[in-house]
Amino acid sequence: MVVLLAVVVVGGLVWLARLNRGGTRTDRARTDGAGPGFPGRPLGGKRIPPALMSQGRIDVCGLTKEYRGVRAVDDLSFTVEPGRVTGFLGPNGAGKTTTLRMLLDLVEPTAGTATIGGVRYADLDQPIRRVGAVLEAGAAHKDRTGRDHLRIVCQSAGISLARADEVLELVGLGVAGNRTFRGYSLGMRQRLGVAAALLGDPQVLILDEPANGLDPEGIRWMRDLLRTLAAQGRTVLVSSHLLGEMALLADDLVIVAAGRLAAQGTVASVIGSMTYLSRTLVRTPELEKLAAVLGRDVVVTPADDGGAYITGADAVAIGDAALRAGVAIHQLVTQLPDLEAAFLELTAGKAAIR
Amino acid sequence: MTALLDSAALNQVGDTGTTLARLIRAEFMKLRTTSAGWLFIVGFIVFTAAALTINGFGSHYQLYPQQGLVSRAQGLAEAAQAHSPAGVAAIAASMMTSGQRVGVLFALLLGVVVVTSEFANQTAAVTFVTVPRRATVIRAKLAAAACCGALFWLVGTVIAAVATPLFLYSQHVSTSPAGWIVVRSVLLNLVAFVAWGVFGLGLGAVLRNQMASVIAAIAVYAGSFGAEGVFTALYNLFHQGWLLGAPVIAPALASAVMIMSGQAFPDAPAGWVGGVIMIGYTAALVAGGIALTKRRDVI
Repeated sequence: MVVLLAVVVVGGLVWLARLNRGGTRTDRARTDGAGPGFPGRPLGGKRIPPALMSQGRIDVCGLTKEYRGVRAVDDLSFTVEPGRVTGFLGPNGAGKTTTLRMLLDLVEPTAGTATIGGVRYADLDQPIRRVGAVLEAGAAHKDRTGRDHLRIVCQSAGISLARADEVLELVGLGVAGNRTFRGYSLGMRQRLGVAAALLGDPQVLILDEPANGLDPEGIRWMRDLLRTLAAQGRTVLVSSHLLGEMALLADDLVIVAAGRLAAQGTVASVIGSMTYLSRTLVRTPELEKLAAVLGRDVVVTPADDGGAYITGADAVAIGDAALRAGVAIHQLVTQLPDLEAAFLELTAGKAAIR
Repeated sequence: MTALLDSAALNQVGDTGTTLARLIRAEFMKLRTTSAGWLFIVGFIVFTAAALTINGFGSHYQLYPQQGLVSRAQGLAEAAQAHSPAGVAAIAASMMTSGQRVGVLFALLLGVVVVTSEFANQTAAVTFVTVPRRATVIRAKLAAAACCGALFWLVGTVIAAVATPLFLYSQHVSTSPAGWIVVRSVLLNLVAFVAWGVFGLGLGAVLRNQMASVIAAIAVYAGSFGAEGVFTALYNLFHQGWLLGAPVIAPALASAVMIMSGQAFPDAPAGWVGGVIMIGYTAALVAGGIALTKRRDVI
């Protein structure tokens, strides 16, 4: 009996060691993205009827999550509109992932509510027919094929297993569907995550950092897909810390820092609200004279090429002052801050590890 | 619900959403599509074959004691006892349940893995986003763990049912295979396998961490056998009679008492006491596991 017990214990430990190895082998994934041969299939041209659009609205109201005294998310309120791509931006540790997980009922809020079409996720009738979520690129069993991973979701949700093959084609993984997740590149893992989110043909898509690890071609694919989904009338909420990508992708922005809302609105309005960051490029042969008439509040910084950047006065004020002083103006250009400057300004000093 | 995309699959009729039966089937798909489930079955078959072999040798020496190891008179007495109808039935029951007292560890560990692999492989978020009713998910896993326990029992019993008559024939003894003592042992083992599978599931749901749960499961099982020594030592100190029956509170001994009808250790209580204790632990772990799974954040 003792011998048998020892055999079983040793066997169990050997097996455990094997499991453990499998569990930590994620970093072996290649980062070469999907590469050529992953065209993906164009989506159907159907649109969500306008009457149903409001069911896709996401409302976050006073959402708060406290972990051992630290407020990861602090009284956060924002809305996400259907038919648009909303970028959810913030530095690492700003509470983006926690917020998305509260929206999906994976994390219980300390206070506040998060609803989709006015209903909590947990109360949705067939949640994956309404909401599709991409949470982490590493979220499948390493030994399982991509197709089996999707089929299990289909089986659990009670939708036809044949749907797994449809979404694999849709994301360009048709050939790789029978390979195990272990051998997937990071780009393929992201595509599998998107495939899982699309299984239920949901009206709302929530994606946590979907562009991570994608190569340029994969990033363009993701951008085109999300733009198409939004154009169909779906709600697309996508978190990222990649600003350049957001500038190309998003219609609206929700910017968080240290768990709090820093800004919300269209990309143009968020940037436009930061006029104090804008500057005006001036070319004039009489820079000193112009600076003198503009007054003390204005800062004039000469540029290398003979022009000068003026902050503290807008183009109208500068033009009027120049006319009154009889100064010739050769060029007068307002330069708005780009998204990166706006982002850094809004989140300044809040990105520290908390 | 009509598909927004052009989807033949989603437009099929008969789409009625999540049900417990579908979730149970999904749990079996999860087991089937990874190597762990198959490794467990193969391991169990190898283990059962080894246990049968060892048990066979043991039974052979019971029937035909080796000269030199025991006195001739004692050997003859033992052989006569083993050859009596009751003796042969006991040997048959023991052969039919070869290794199953330890074999339940397979059911226990698979039960643990059914829950903890979701967390170890980060698939818990996908599972709970697909089905936010977490208690239902755990119930489906419970059914899967219980079925797996029964499957281990079936595999072990079928192998033993082939080997046991052959062994008895080779030893020139015979007994009715349908003798009550044999059938009773075999059926009580089914209860034990199912109970241990569910016990593992509850333990995994409570602890969630795979490594911790597997170690705890093995420790609970192996540690149980130390309970006898502990309580004997306590008896020697305090001389309270009930202390001699108390080791039954250790889960593995409770299970053994249930199967062996009070003969698991000297002064063991009646079989039903073990059964009640084993089912009590299992129910408590499952209730705790469901409550914690509903409450805990999935990160």
